[in-house]
Amino acid sequence: MAHSLSPECTPLKHEYDSCFNAWFEGYLEPALSASAASEERRAYSKRKAEEYENTCGKIWVKYRDCVQKAVKDRGLDDLLNQARQENPLKEPPPPPMKEATS
Amino acid sequence: MHYFSQVFSYDHPWSKVVIGMWHKYPNPHCAHVVTVDVVDRSVDPNTGIIRTERILGCKQKAPVWVVKLFGGSEDAFVREVSFVDPATQTATMTSVNLSLSQFATCYEHVLYSPASNSRTTFTQTAEIQARMTLWRSVSDKLENWLVQRFEQNAQLGKLAFTDVLRSLSGSQDKQSASP
Repeated sequence: MAHSLSPECTPLKHEYDSCFNAWFEGYLEPALSASAASEERRAYSKRKAEEYENTCGKIWVKYRDCVQKAVKDRGLDDLLNQARQENPLKEPPPPPMKEATS
Repeated sequence: MHYFSQVFSYDHPWSKVVIGMWHKYPNPHCAHVVTVDVVDRSVDPNTGIIRTERILGCKQKAPVWVVKLFGGSEDAFVREVSFVDPATQTATMTSVNLSLSQFATCYEHVLYSPASNSRTTFTQTAEIQARMTLWRSVSDKLENWLVQRFEQNAQLGKLAFTDVLRSLSGSQDKQSASP
């Protein structure tokens, strides 16, 4: 696993990444097959979002606090906020335009 | 403005590629990426879409003229926002440089979508543009350098991710083969 920006956050990051990856791998396959009925999907998404919060929520908050401080200490917070303002990316980008391929 | 694009496919199903996204670094092919941090993440309880915002820290030597003109150091940071949507089997990543961003921007878009049950199409585009406040000759030079660097890294990224996917699928094969 890659290191964190700040060595003191790396152990928290590794713990969080492991938690997320384990959750994600369990989440993905059933999510693909649930694609049929939208009600079924919504129920699954809701249950899994709660599960993620319950299993990884605590370590996420610890890691996030640590990395937020590291971002600030390195003066990256201004650059990050500027990038967020220019392009919030709160929604998935639209599919790319089909270009005429040569 | 420079424009870059490439399309190819990985010999792995979409779900494996998307799992691999979180395992790409550290990678000997991309030794320039030294840190990866998640700064924001949400799982949408209605749509099931996962949004992740990360900061990647890179260490890559810049030419002397870049350091002289623009200051800065070997450390460069990138903001990357990704969306994984299992319902449509779409994963997108949008990246922009944080470092040197007052002089030039490099916007990269990546899309992973299923080509078949066992293959995944990778579509990458990038726009590299120096800010207008620079002298023309300087901005051209800066753009050209960034394009060169981007193209090199794009090739390395492909090698890097191919290895990761191979080793992930290898370890899964072993797991499923064991009694």
